[in-house]
Amino acid sequence: MKDDLVLIKKLQNQDTQALSRVYDLYSGAIYGVILRMCKDESLAQDLLQETFMKIWQKSHTYDPDKGKFFTWSYRIARNITLNSLRKKDTLIQTEDLSVYKERSTSEAEKDITQLEGSLKKLEPHHQKALELVYFNGLTHREAHEEMDVPLGTFKSYIKQALKKLRESYKEELVIVWIIIEMMR
Amino acid sequence: MDRNTIKDTGVLEQYLLGELSEKDAIAVEQILNEDQELQTYFNKMEDDMEQMAFENAIAPPTHIKSDLLNSIKNSETVSEEGVIPIQKKKKISYRFAIAASLAALFLASSGWFYNEWKNTKATIVTLQKETTNLQDRLVTIEGDLKETDKWYQAINNPKVIQLVLNGNDKSPTSTAIAYVNHQNKEVILNPQGLSKLDNTKTYQMWADVDGEMIDMGVIAQDQEMMIMKYIENAESLNITIEPAGGNDHPTVEQLISNVYL
Repeated sequence: MKDDLVLIKKLQNQDTQALSRVYDLYSGAIYGVILRMCKDESLAQDLLQETFMKIWQKSHTYDPDKGKFFTWSYRIARNITLNSLRKKDTLIQTEDLSVYKERSTSEAEKDITQLEGSLKKLEPHHQKALELVYFNGLTHREAHEEMDVPLGTFKSYIKQALKKLRESYKEELVIVWIIIEMMR
Repeated sequence: MDRNTIKDTGVLEQYLLGELSEKDAIAVEQILNEDQELQTYFNKMEDDMEQMAFENAIAPPTHIKSDLLNSIKNSETVSEEGVIPIQKKKKISYRFAIAASLAALFLASSGWFYNEWKNTKATIVTLQKETTNLQDRLVTIEGDLKETDKWYQAINNPKVIQLVLNGNDKSPTSTAIAYVNHQNKEVILNPQGLSKLDNTKTYQMWADVDGEMIDMGVIAQDQEMMIMKYIENAESLNITIEPAGGNDHPTVEQLISNVYL
């Protein structure tokens, strides 16, 4: 998806209609990330609102030359969610500041947060690696421990996973192109 | 750090996810800015990550959006009311207070002036009426004075002879006063003392000249003073009762008063 720079410019000028449009475009994808990270629907809803509040307040700091609007928004959502989880954890366990030591991606919650799309076509270890860093907000360092593989291996998992993802998206594009050609 | 090292270290992925420190992130941004091919590689990675997120999107409950827009609206009004410097607000309210007091004062004084103006207007109307009244009265008084003065001059003249005509048996209560000025050849009569007659009758005055009665005029009873005809060589003045409108010849039987000159 290409960024609508006019829309983003309007958002940066504090146009609430632009915010409404941006919310319609991105809230689903961002909520998907937040919910998979915190696995708590009520908290995820609060954090989604907080994220868009921050997007609204900080929109002037977004620089299109440095990356896509979604990447920028994703980072905000990830930070807010991780901070919230960290606070929650410090209330319970004062010593250990790590977020995911006790909080592994349990199977029971998979039904809400089950991953879809091309990610499902990837090999399980690639899928898991991407899921951990992208949807669960783990750092590479945390994630390789979680997967119990060396950091270097984990990094190559991510790299390979992204490569596969790219290939599958290319395939999809070809299929779409064929369909469009056939419809002509 | 060359292109391939950067690709292999996974630093771009970490940068994309926001895992890097601010310092490292700035360094990566600088490298990307200088290396077009690496930038293209990163852009593709961003596209893929974004697509992955969209494929795994979960629709949030609809109330979140309205909550968000409401809280933004509220925070805007709050910042307008509250966060804008208190000093400024004070200034505004101070100025506003002055303006309001002035306005109130102006309003009150306007009301007062309006009342005063209305009162003054009413007073002027009354004064104008009074002035007109006084003018009228003055004219009347002046007229009266002129009249009185005229009569006064006429009767107070040393050349004037004052004659009292007393009623005889026919009208014992009647009295009239005649002022005769031979120099000016004037006769003035005050008929106020004559008894009242009904509408069909009137008093008439006559002058006796060599035994002949000459008409001096009908007497109008409603006047205080009246001028009668002056008759030369009159020996006496006589008053008779005649039919209304007067008579050519006196009805001697109805003579009520006479006086010799």
